Amino acid sequence: MSMGGKALANIRFVWTCWKLNLASAMEYRLSFLLLAGMMFVNNTIWLFFWGLFFNRFPIVQGWELHDVMMLWAVSTGGFGWAAMLFGNFSRIAGIVATGQLDVQLSQPRPVLLSVLVSRCSVTAAGDLLFGVAVYLMVGDTSLRGLLLFGLALLISGALFIAVMVLAGCSAFWIGHAEGMTQQLFQSFIALTTYPSDIFRGVVRLALFSLVPAGFISYMPIGLLRDFDPLFAAGAVGMACGLTVAAALLFRQGLRRYASGNAIAMRS
Amino acid sequence: MIEESGSRWAAGRKAAAVGRIAFRHQLAYKTDFAMRGFFLLFILFVFIQLWSAAYGGDYELVISGFTLKQIVWYLVFTEALTMAAPPLCSRIEEEVKNGDVAIRLIRPQSYVGYHFSVFASEALTRFAVHLLVGSAIAWPFVGPPAFGIGWLGLLALSVGALTVTFLLLMLVGLCAFWVEETSGLYFVLQKLQFTIGGMLLPIDLMPEWLQRICAWLPFQAALYYPAKMAVHFDAALLGRQLAIQIGWIVLLALAVSQMYRRGVTKLHVNGG
Repeated sequence: MSMGGKALANIRFVWTCWKLNLASAMEYRLSFLLLAGMMFVNNTIWLFFWGLFFNRFPIVQGWELHDVMMLWAVSTGGFGWAAMLFGNFSRIAGIVATGQLDVQLSQPRPVLLSVLVSRCSVTAAGDLLFGVAVYLMVGDTSLRGLLLFGLALLISGALFIAVMVLAGCSAFWIGHAEGMTQQLFQSFIALTTYPSDIFRGVVRLALFSLVPAGFISYMPIGLLRDFDPLFAAGAVGMACGLTVAAALLFRQGLRRYASGNAIAMRS
Repeated sequence: MIEESGSRWAAGRKAAAVGRIAFRHQLAYKTDFAMRGFFLLFILFVFIQLWSAAYGGDYELVISGFTLKQIVWYLVFTEALTMAAPPLCSRIEEEVKNGDVAIRLIRPQSYVGYHFSVFASEALTRFAVHLLVGSAIAWPFVGPPAFGIGWLGLLALSVGALTVTFLLLMLVGLCAFWVEETSGLYFVLQKLQFTIGGMLLPIDLMPEWLQRICAWLPFQAALYYPAKMAVHFDAALLGRQLAIQIGWIVLLALAVSQMYRRGVTKLHVNGG
């Protein structure tokens, strides 16, 4: 099969998986609505906290309530689409450690892609909806603003996926790394929901390199409020670079993968 | 009379034995402690950065009665208390889902009492460990916790605070007898504790209208009271807050008891 043909087949495969995931989620419609609604309420209560905080401290390191609201829109929105469409990105370590890759290895599709699209997080629908709702409420809804917000969501989601796949790949070398990667996951999410400018020195440097949460948490300022081409290029570069690195590391790790004898029929 | 006191004595011994087993059980999971400790360190580091930025790094500035040092130590205490609570709701939910609740119900110990013994043992151990871990990060950033008698206030109110937390979690957990899935309700309860319970922000810093609402809710008795008393000891207020805690404990215990009595008749166990 030619390269173009392969790509088309993969796109069709991904599309079919997404449709099936959605149909599966819709099978338990009430549960889906409750879980997504719960996440929406959860995020709203966080914004309520920020409202109280900025009521007392109106400007913190140049950040206002509006900026933090946009930060939550970008972070939850980015996480939302990533977890809805590529729901296994935070579970790679567990999947590898328990030998569940066997199912994907037997399919004629790219293994990483197949793993990522085989799950849809239903609570993430609430996150995505929340992100969009906050954007519509306080964001710039002009065409330029819409495009920039779309770009911010793309970068944010790609970074979530890439960072967690990279962390999850550690399971190929050290075995059971679920606890560690879950801690990293929680910490990374937390870092993306606090204004990046509250951090200084080495920590700030780490936020824009080692743990690139800063590329998400600075977006309300560097991309949406005062467009900084250098920051935008850095964020796009980091998202693309880490995505490629994650795919390469996964491929490298796959060579070390030992089957868990967990082949089972999936209906 | 003698028979009644004997049965109470036996119930107390059973509760103590369950508590001892829960304590030993925890010691077996050191990685779990280490993970929680790491997350506590991390989140307190983030809070210290946030509040330092809010105060502009000014250690002398007083806002609503709090200096930066007091705010940071306040957060150490509220975080230590919050993270001390074991996942009671998910445990009850699992027991109902997999049928283990049937085994619990036939044991010669009250179902709620059993969970309270486990909760108390785990929560007190975790609270002590979290205080040490939290101190390890707050001390280098804002100085030692020289709160004198405030520590006594913290300890006096923490027992009641954890009991209120247990009863609130039990109320949500018992919903599993009707609906099985309680994670949504738990999420909402948790976030209410974070915000109007004063975990992230002392209630004194909230607007007047919200402070008035908080005063009528049990959440502040579970977090705000002990943490505030530690950094701002007030003997007169201590007695009042202890009385409020006791009031909430009685009220919530009655609600738990009613709910348990009704819930257990609705329960259908498959498997176990």
